[in-house]
Amino acid sequence: MTRNDPIKHFFIWPALIIVLLISIFPLVYSLTTSFMSMRLVPPTPARFVGFGNYADLLSNPRFWHVAGTTTLIAFISVGLQYVIGLSVALALNSRVPGEGIFRVGFLLPMLVAPVAVALVARQLLNPTMGPLNEFMTLFGFPNLPFLTRTSWALGSIIVVEVWQWTPFVILMLLAGLQTLPDDVYEAAALENATPWQQFRDITFPMLLPISAAVVFIRLIESYKIMDTVFVMTGGGPGVSTETLTLFAYQEGFKKFNLGYTSALSFLFLIFITVIGLVYLAVLKPYLEKHK
Amino acid sequence: MSVRTLEGKRRWLALGGCLVWLAFTLFPLYWVAITSFKTPIAVVGGPTYLPFVDFEPTLTAWNELLSGERGAFYNTFIASLIVGLSAAVLATGIGAMAAYALVRFTFRFRLLSALIFVIVAFGGFLLGRNVLGFGQGISLIYSFIAALALAVISSRFRLPGPELGNNDIVFWFVSQRMFPPIVAAFALYLMYTEVGKLGFKLVDSYVGLTFAYVAFSLPIVIWLMRDFFEALPIEVEEAAMVDNVPSWRIFFGIVLPMSKPGLIATFMITLAFVWNEFLFALFLTSSKWQTLPILVAGQNSQRGDEWWSISTAALVAIIPMMVMAGILSRLMRSGLLLGAIK
Repeated sequence: MTRNDPIKHFFIWPALIIVLLISIFPLVYSLTTSFMSMRLVPPTPARFVGFGNYADLLSNPRFWHVAGTTTLIAFISVGLQYVIGLSVALALNSRVPGEGIFRVGFLLPMLVAPVAVALVARQLLNPTMGPLNEFMTLFGFPNLPFLTRTSWALGSIIVVEVWQWTPFVILMLLAGLQTLPDDVYEAAALENATPWQQFRDITFPMLLPISAAVVFIRLIESYKIMDTVFVMTGGGPGVSTETLTLFAYQEGFKKFNLGYTSALSFLFLIFITVIGLVYLAVLKPYLEKHK
Repeated sequence: MSVRTLEGKRRWLALGGCLVWLAFTLFPLYWVAITSFKTPIAVVGGPTYLPFVDFEPTLTAWNELLSGERGAFYNTFIASLIVGLSAAVLATGIGAMAAYALVRFTFRFRLLSALIFVIVAFGGFLLGRNVLGFGQGISLIYSFIAALALAVISSRFRLPGPELGNNDIVFWFVSQRMFPPIVAAFALYLMYTEVGKLGFKLVDSYVGLTFAYVAFSLPIVIWLMRDFFEALPIEVEEAAMVDNVPSWRIFFGIVLPMSKPGLIATFMITLAFVWNEFLFALFLTSSKWQTLPILVAGQNSQRGDEWWSISTAALVAIIPMMVMAGILSRLMRSGLLLGAIK
């Protein structure tokens, strides 16, 4: 039960004011700026252009390309993270030998700064001096263009994302698996259900709510990807691996094109919201079915 | 023996898979560790894997780093440490208070009050900037105060429209995480510049950076701490209330000590987030309060193929978090976090 006491205001207002300040200011500022043409370099006076910036962006092929690249990276890497994360979590949950070591080892990547990960990845993927090059040479593929050819670079970024964030999926799914009741499995074992049947008809459906939440969190976070790409390829070759955040950074901080960048940020926000809503709408019937 | 335990061939298959994944996880970390002990010749000559066998390890790169030859590492490390620790402490403290309030007290307000806040904030800003001719910074401050005051006053009256409660506040906090940080980081940079023109330096300052990190950690702190507080038995607090212990003493004297495990875990998660954060530091700092991720990212363009020194720089950013992970897993094993993580 909740109670009522004037002291509650003292408890909640510090947090409320801080978050309000930092969320409403940027919102007000960038929303109003997004309807204006405004540049700092070269300085041009603010001019109201209505939806001009939005129209410019929507007709700019680079925007669609960047949105596509980000979507590609987000969906493929989250898909792989989920499949690998679920398998590892299932293995850990069924007590493979040495489970304790695995548990600690598997979580480490999550704590490493993404920029440091990207720097290490650059060393590993170096086309002449890296260990991966030596490994691939054994199979007769020397000097692969890991970071300098578009499809290879995208693949490398996805692998780095999978390396770093699968631990999060493992952590959450493992916690979810441990809350599943034992008696259902005992009943299934009595019925001589095969392990595959147990997985398909018990584990997976019962894990669906937490799976949905994990994938949702990872998907939203993946759309924000910036530091890894920034260090690994800088958006290159050309602009072929540029992501939404990196594009906004280039426009805003390199060109100081304020109105344009603000409009871009808002399209980004709308984009992410739409994806979130579609995701939830698609999943809703399944989640309700298994409630 | 649980029914879910694998047997026979499947067990070994699972073990094999786990070992492969462990190798994939650990190899990059191993690689960066050994590279930091390599000589330039050992790096350029192609990949080598085993110290003393493949190559002679040296401390050259570490000496260069620690003697300050490779740039202001000490300053950056200390700046990162100060900002990280203070932001994590503040966010955990303020967030825990808010989370407790949201679990134990009743909040009710009308949707209309929230709408008044948004509309007045927007309208006041536009009015101040375009009609009254204030600067951007002044207009923002005035409109914020006006919006907040009007929203609070309006909540005193019986307004029509749907009523919102605790869960809606929590949802609002958590939904802030959906916001792409670039929207906030860029606007925050411009806002800090505006406030700087009024005489308060916020760009590249301790206050500015810490404030941004506290604000961005709060949603996750509130989310986590709410679960911890909800799991606490309410009987202890009810017993204290019967004895007329004031609410603030219940919170600081009873609830906080009871939820120490949760506080520690939340503090560490926040610290890791702030320590590794890149985008805000990139926008909001330039020299004095630059944090480690910025310095580490800069190594790439400055050093090119000097892997030995890049590796030491990366390790300086990695090692503190690894130590923290070690402490955290020890805490978990010693049972300090038992009952807290369910």
